[in-house]
Amino acid sequence: MQKKRILIVEDAAYMREMLVEMLEQEGKKYEVAGFAVDGKEAVEKYKELKPDLVTMDLVMEVMDGIQAIREIKKHDPNALILVITALGTPEQRKAALEAGADEYLWKPFTIKNLSDMLEKLLRKREE
Amino acid sequence: MEKSGVKELNHRFLILFFAVLACAILTFYFASKGETRVYTHLFYIPILLAGVWYRKKAIYIALFLSFFYIIVTYPWTHPSDVFARSTILVAVAYVLGFVSEKRAKGEEKLKETKYYLDDIIKSSADAIVVVDMEGIVRSWNKAAEDYMGYTADEVIGTSNKKFFADPEEAERIMEIALRAGELKNYRTTVLNKDKKPVHINMSAALLKDKNGAPVGTVRVSRDVTKEMELEKKIKEERDNLNLILESMADGVYIVSKDYKVEFMNKVLIDEFGDQVGGICYKMFHDREEPCPLCKNTEVMKEKTMRWEWHSRRKNKTYDLIETPLKNIDGTISKLTIFRDISKRKQMEEELKEAKERYMVIFEHALTALCVIEEDKKVSLVNKEFETLSGYSREEIEGKKWTEFIAEEDLERVNKYHDERKKGGAPACCVFKFVSRNGEIKHVNTCIEPILDAKRCIASLLDITELKMKEDDLRETCEKLAELDKMKRDFLNVAYHEMRSPLAPIVGYASLLERFKLTDRGRKYIHNIEKCARQLEKMINRMLELARIDSRKVELILEEFSIPGVVWEVVKSLEPEAKKKKQKISIVIPEIEIQADKLKTVAIFTNLISNAIKYTLEKGIINVMIEDRGEDIRVCVTDTGIGIPEEHLPMIFERFYMVDTSLTRKSGSLGLGLSIVKEYVKLHGGRVWATSELEKGSKFFFTMPKRQK
Repeated sequence: MQKKRILIVEDAAYMREMLVEMLEQEGKKYEVAGFAVDGKEAVEKYKELKPDLVTMDLVMEVMDGIQAIREIKKHDPNALILVITALGTPEQRKAALEAGADEYLWKPFTIKNLSDMLEKLLRKREE
Repeated sequence: MEKSGVKELNHRFLILFFAVLACAILTFYFASKGETRVYTHLFYIPILLAGVWYRKKAIYIALFLSFFYIIVTYPWTHPSDVFARSTILVAVAYVLGFVSEKRAKGEEKLKETKYYLDDIIKSSADAIVVVDMEGIVRSWNKAAEDYMGYTADEVIGTSNKKFFADPEEAERIMEIALRAGELKNYRTTVLNKDKKPVHINMSAALLKDKNGAPVGTVRVSRDVTKEMELEKKIKEERDNLNLILESMADGVYIVSKDYKVEFMNKVLIDEFGDQVGGICYKMFHDREEPCPLCKNTEVMKEKTMRWEWHSRRKNKTYDLIETPLKNIDGTISKLTIFRDISKRKQMEEELKEAKERYMVIFEHALTALCVIEEDKKVSLVNKEFETLSGYSREEIEGKKWTEFIAEEDLERVNKYHDERKKGGAPACCVFKFVSRNGEIKHVNTCIEPILDAKRCIASLLDITELKMKEDDLRETCEKLAELDKMKRDFLNVAYHEMRSPLAPIVGYASLLERFKLTDRGRKYIHNIEKCARQLEKMINRMLELARIDSRKVELILEEFSIPGVVWEVVKSLEPEAKKKKQKISIVIPEIEIQADKLKTVAIFTNLISNAIKYTLEKGIINVMIEDRGEDIRVCVTDTGIGIPEEHLPMIFERFYMVDTSLTRKSGSLGLGLSIVKEYVKLHGGRVWATSELEKGSKFFFTMPKRQK
C-alpha cells in the first residue's frame, strides 16, 4: 500500500516537529510530503507537491489558514484538508468548514486523536 | 241765511206796499163818499207793520200816509183835524219804530252771540252734543260727525241710546249729570255708524231753564281711542319692564328723587325685605338722612353712576349701576341695578393671593425662569435668571430672549420655541446660553406656552457642570469600551497562545506512551497529561465566559432526552466518584426537552463534578429531576462540607471562591458555577442553592422544556 503524502502547514516549528514525529510513529501509512509555514507557501507547496492530505493551522502570518483553504480548494476541489488549531469556538470551526476544510482537530491532541482523524478522512475519501 | 233775509225783505215790502195801496184806495173811495173819519184807522195797519219790520223807517211811511191823507181828505175835512190825525199817525209810527229798533238791536246781539257760539261749536275739535231730558239729541256738531260718522241731520231728534256700547250707559250718564250737575272726564265707549267702538272721554253739564229746571245736558267728548291704545301700550311696556326687572338675577329697585322706594324686584325683596313705599336710607341703612355715598343727586342730573358698595351689615359687596328713569309726569327716578359680587370679589382676592403665592415660587425657584412675550422680549425674570445671566432685572428689561442664545444655536432654539408654541416638539432643548461678558453656559431649557400660546415661560437649568461631567463620563466610557475591546482581544490571543503550548505537552505525552516505559515513567506521563487537561479546561471556561460577556454564545437547539444526558454525564464522572467511594443516585422520569444539548451537558457536568469534588469519601450524591409541565426542576444534592450562608448568594459569581487560600483542597478558578448560571440564564431558567454546613448543599436549576 502506498504511503499517503501529507503536507504540513504550521508556523510553529515545535508543532511541525511533533507532527512529523507522530506521523513517523504511524510510519507505515504516512509520509511527510513537505512543510509550509504560512498560507501562501501552503498554496504554492500544494500545487507543487500535490499531497494526499494537508494539515492546516489557522493562525499564521502572510496568509491565514482559512484563506489558504479557500485557495487550495479553488485549485483542487478534491483536496483533503485537516485543520489543526488551537482556536476552538463554534464560529471559528464553522468558518473553517465553510471555507472547505474536511475535518477539524482541536489542539491539544494526542497521537491517537490525530491518527483516528486521518484514518477517518482517508477512509471517507476512498469510499 | 243771507238769501232767506232778502226773501223776507221783499215779501214784507210787498205786503207793506199793497197795504199802503189798499189804504190809499179805500181812503180815496170813502173820502169821495164824504166819509172821512173811520178810515184813518186803516192807516195804522201799514204803519204798525212798518214799525215792526222797518223800525225807524216806519216814520217815513207814516209821513207819506199823513201827507196822502191830508191831500185826499182836504176837500172834506177840516185841516186841523186832518193835521191832528196825521200827527198822531206819525207819533205812533215813531214810537213803534223806536221800540221796534231797540228790540231788533237786542235780537241782533243775541243772534250774533248765537252765531259766535255756533262757530265755536262747529269748529270745536271736541264733539259737542246737546241731549234733552228724554235723551233726544238736539245738537250735533262737526267733530261729533267726524268720529261718530253720523251727520247732524241723521241724529238730531233721535234717541242717544243707540250710541253707547252699553245701552244703559245713556241713563247712567244722565243720572250722574242730574245728581252732580256735571260730569267730568268720564270714560265710556260708544259705537260709531259702522258699529265700531270708539273710546271717548266725556264731560257734561246740565242745562237749566230760567226757572232752574233741568232741560237737558250739553256733552263735550273726545275720541281717546288712540290715547287709550297708547296708554295700553305704555302699560304693557311697563308691565314687560317690570317682568324683566322681576326676573333679573340682579337686584333692581327704583327710588324717586325724594328717596321713596317705588319698586323692588324679587331678588332685592328676598335680600332686604319688601321696602316699597319706604324711604331708602331709613329702610336699608337705618339712617335719618341720605347716605353720604348716595348718588341720588348725580342721577337726578341724568348721570349714570357705577360704583361698588360694601354692606357691612350683610358682609357683601355689590356692584351698583344707577341710572335716571324718566317718569310719565316728567320727574326722574333712580333705577338701581344691584349685583352681588361678593363671590367674585372673594375669587379676585383668592386669585390675587394665588398670584402672589406663585410669584414667590417663581421668584425663589432654583431654576432660572423668564417670561417671553410674543415679540420675544423678556418681560419677567426671577432671581435665578439674574444669577444665570449676570444681569440685573432692570438690565434685562427690554432685552430679547434671542440675545441670550449663542449664535450657532439660535436657529435650533427658535425652531424649538415655535414648535413648543404649537404644542409640539420635545419637552427640553439644550443650548449655549450667553451670559454677561459673553460667558457661555450650557443650559437645558423647557419652553411652555401660556395664555393662548402668545407668551411663553422658559425654565433654564444650568447644566454646564453636568455637561462637563457628562463629557468626562463619555470619555471614560469610550476609554472603557476601548479597554474592554483590548481585554477581549487580549483574551482571544491569550487563549490561543496558552492553548498552543498545550498541544506539544499533550501530544508528546501521548507519543511517549508508545515507548517502552517503566511504571514510574508511565505514571509521570499520566500526571503530565492530567495537569495539561486541567489547564485546558480552565482556559476553555475563561474563553466561554468571555464569549458569553460579548454575547457571542447562542443556543443551538435540539430535542433530546434528559435522562440520557444525565446518564452520559454520570458515566463520564463515575471513575472520579468511584475513587472517592461515592454513590450517585439518580431519580429522573423520562423527559424530552428542546435545548442546547452541549450546554445542558456542561451544566450537569459542572454541578455533578462539583458535588463529587466537595463530597467526602463514601458520600452520596443525588440527582433529582422533576417534571413541572412547562419546565423541569433539577436538584443536585451532595453530602459535602456545605457552604457558609454568607457565601451562598455569591457562589455563582465569576471567580468567586469560598476558600481563597492557596492551600484549599481542590484547584479551581470558581468559573464552573458561573458558566452554569449563564447557560441556565440563556435557556430562560433560574439557578440557586441552599446549604447546611457539614451536612451538604443542594443546587437547583429550572429549565423550560421548550424555547420560545
